[in-house]
Amino acid sequence: MKTARDLLRVAVTGLYARKVRTLLLLLGPMIGVAAIIAAVGLTDSAKGDLKAKVNQLGTNLIEVAASSSFGSKDPTLPEDVIPRAENVLTLKSVAQIRELSNIVVTPYNEATDKYEAVPIPVLASDTRLPSVLEVKLISGRWLNGFDDSTVTRSAVIGIGLARQFSYLPGEVRTIELDGIRYGVVGVLSEVELEPSFDNAVFISFPSAKADFVTTAKESDKVLPNKLYVRSVVGAEKITAEALRVAINLGGQDELTTDIKSEALQLAAQSDQQIKLIVVSMGILASIVGGVGIANVMSISVIQRSAEIGIRRALGHTRSIIASQFLLEALFIGLLGGICGVVLGILSIFVGATIAGWVFVLAPWLIPAGIALAMVISVIAGLYPSVRAARLEPLETLRLG
Amino acid sequence: MLAEPHSEQVGVEPLLELDTVSRVYGTGDATVYALRDVSLRIMPGDFVSIVGPSGSGKSTMLGLLGCLDIPTSGTIIVGGKTVTGLDDAERTEVRGRTIGFVFQQFHLIPHLDAVGNVETALLYRGLSRAERRLRAMNALESVGLGLRQDHRPVQLSGGEQQRVALARALVTEPKILLADEPTGALDSQNAEKVMELLTNLQSPERAVVIVTHAADVADAAYRKVSMRDGRIVSDVTRVR
Ligand SMILES: Nc1ncnc2c1ncn2[C@@H]1O[C@H](COP(=O)(O)OP(=O)(O)OP(=O)(O)O)[C@@H](O)[C@H]1O
Ligand SMILES: [Mg+2]
Repeated sequence: MKTARDLLRVAVTGLYARKVRTLLLLLGPMIGVAAIIAAVGLTDSAKGDLKAKVNQLGTNLIEVAASSSFGSKDPTLPEDVIPRAENVLTLKSVAQIRELSNIVVTPYNEATDKYEAVPIPVLASDTRLPSVLEVKLISGRWLNGFDDSTVTRSAVIGIGLARQFSYLPGEVRTIELDGIRYGVVGVLSEVELEPSFDNAVFISFPSAKADFVTTAKESDKVLPNKLYVRSVVGAEKITAEALRVAINLGGQDELTTDIKSEALQLAAQSDQQIKLIVVSMGILASIVGGVGIANVMSISVIQRSAEIGIRRALGHTRSIIASQFLLEALFIGLLGGICGVVLGILSIFVGATIAGWVFVLAPWLIPAGIALAMVISVIAGLYPSVRAARLEPLETLRLG
Repeated sequence: MLAEPHSEQVGVEPLLELDTVSRVYGTGDATVYALRDVSLRIMPGDFVSIVGPSGSGKSTMLGLLGCLDIPTSGTIIVGGKTVTGLDDAERTEVRGRTIGFVFQQFHLIPHLDAVGNVETALLYRGLSRAERRLRAMNALESVGLGLRQDHRPVQLSGGEQQRVALARALVTEPKILLADEPTGALDSQNAEKVMELLTNLQSPERAVVIVTHAADVADAAYRKVSMRDGRIVSDVTRVR
C-alpha cells in the first residue's frame, strides 16, 4: 500500500520534472483519442435531431391494418381482434380504430359545399388510442367510457383541423358530421408517427354505429380496420410477426403490419462508412502515438540509466523500477486520454454549432477513449520498462 | 608511523566476508581475472582504504562487497548471511538494508532537489512522507547542507553534490559504507571536507571502506588493503 503510494509519487514527480517531454508524449494518445471521439460524435451529431426524434417517439409502434387479398372494398379486422392481439406476449398496449368513409365534415351546416371537396377523415376510435400513440391532448379530454356507454355525440379533433376551423382551446364548439351535430370535447396534439390524424375527427365506436352504420352499409356492426400496438422495445419485428399469426389464427393473411418508426430510424442512422474511416484513422493515430511513447521512453531509459543504477544501489528492486516506468506510461495515457476526450468534445461542439446540428455524444465514449489511451500507453511502455528493470546497476554506475 | 598486520577481534562477527572470491570477465582469449581467490573480512568499526594500481580490481571488489555483482566463484557473507546464491530481489533487499554507497561521479538524480535525492534512499520502506522528509533533512544537516535542501544538483558545487550523496548514503543508517574514489572528482579543499565527514561516519558498529588513489586519503584510514592484479598483496592495520 505504502509502496504503491511511493511509486505513484515517484512517477508523478518524474513526469512533472520533465514537463516538455511529458507534454510531447501526451500528444500521441491525445490526438488519437480526440480523432476517435470527434469522428463518432460528429457523424452522430449530423443526424442528432433525427436521433432525438426517434428517442422521443419510440421505436416500438406497430400499425396493423386489414387488407384483403380478394380486393373487397372495405376490409376489416375481426370483432375480437383486441383479445387476439393481446395473446402476443411482447405486446405492451393496443388500440383499435375504424376509418369511416364518405362522411362530410363541416364546422357548421351552411358550409357543406366548401368542405365536401376536401374529405376530412372520420375515425371511430376506442378510449386507449392517445395512450398507445403516446400523444397528449392540447385541450379538453379524449373519448371515454361514458361516451361509449351513453352514445353521447362527442368528438375529438386533430390539431390541424382545429386550426383550420379556427377552434380556440376550451371554446364550446360543435362540428357537423353528415349534418349530425357533435360536440367537440378535445383537441389532440400533433401525432408525428401518423400525420393524417392531425386533420381527423375521432368519435366513439357506439356513436359511429348509431349514426353512420346505415351510411357504412356493408354491415350493421362497426368493425375495426386498424390496430395501433406498442411492443416491448427491441421486439418490434417478432411482435409484428406474432400479431399476424395471432389475429389471423392460421387463416388467410388478411392484414399488413408496419413498424411506424422504421423509416425514421433508418434516416437517423449515422454514416457508418465515414465513421469507420475516421475512427480507424484515430486508432492508427493512437498506435503511432504509442510507438512514439515506446521510442521516447526507450531513449529515456538510456538517458536515465545512471538514475536507475543508483536507485538499484539504494535498494529499489527490479520490479519497483519496472513499475515506476509503467506507471509513468499509464499516467501519460490517462492524461493524454483526458486531454483527447476534452479536445474531441470541443471539436464536436464547434463542428455541430457551425453546421447547426444537435450535439450528440454517446457517454460510454468518454471512459472508452481514456481506457484506449491508457492501454496503448501501457503496452508501449512495457518494453522500455522491462529494459529499465534489466539494467545491471554496476554497468550503469561505472565505478571509478 | 606504526603498522601491524590486521588482527581479528575475538567474538565479533564480521560485517562483510569474502571467501576465496574470484570474478572473471569474458571468455576464451578475452578472459580477464579481475579478482583471483580473494579473501577479506571487514569488521564493525573498520575504516579501510583499498589502494592499488589501475585495473588491479579495486572497483570489482567494491561491487562484490556491495552486492551489486555476483562472484564467478567463492562465497560472500554480509552480516552473517550468505548472499551468493540469493536471487536479485533478495540481494537488493540486503543491499538496501545494510549498505550505503558513495561514487566518484556523485550520481545524484538531476530532476530532484537535495532533500529529494536523499529521500530516494528511504522510498519503499513503509515510511510516511513526513518521516522520510524529517530523516532526510537531518541527514542533510549532518553534512552541513540543511539550507540547500531545495537546490537541484546543477545548483550545487561538486563538493556539495558529494555531500548530498553522502547524506543519501547515511540516511538509511547502513552498517557498511562503501565509497569508490569519493574525492576523485573534487579539488583538495572539498576533498578534505568530504574525507572529514567520512572519517566522522566511522563508528564502533559501522565499517567504512574507501577505494582511492590518493595517498592522503589512504593514510587517513586505520586499515590499508593493497591490491595488484586481482589479488590482495598487503593488509595492514595501523595502531590507533
Ligand atoms: N565489465 C567488465 N568487462 C570486462 N572487463 C572488466 C569489466 N569491469 C572491469 N574489467 C576488468 O577488470 C579489471 C579490474 O577492473 P577494476 O575496475 O576493478 O579496476 P580498478 O582497480 O578499479 O581500476 P581503477 O583504479 O582504474 O578504477 C580490469 O582489468 C578491467 O579491465
Ligand atoms: Mg575503479
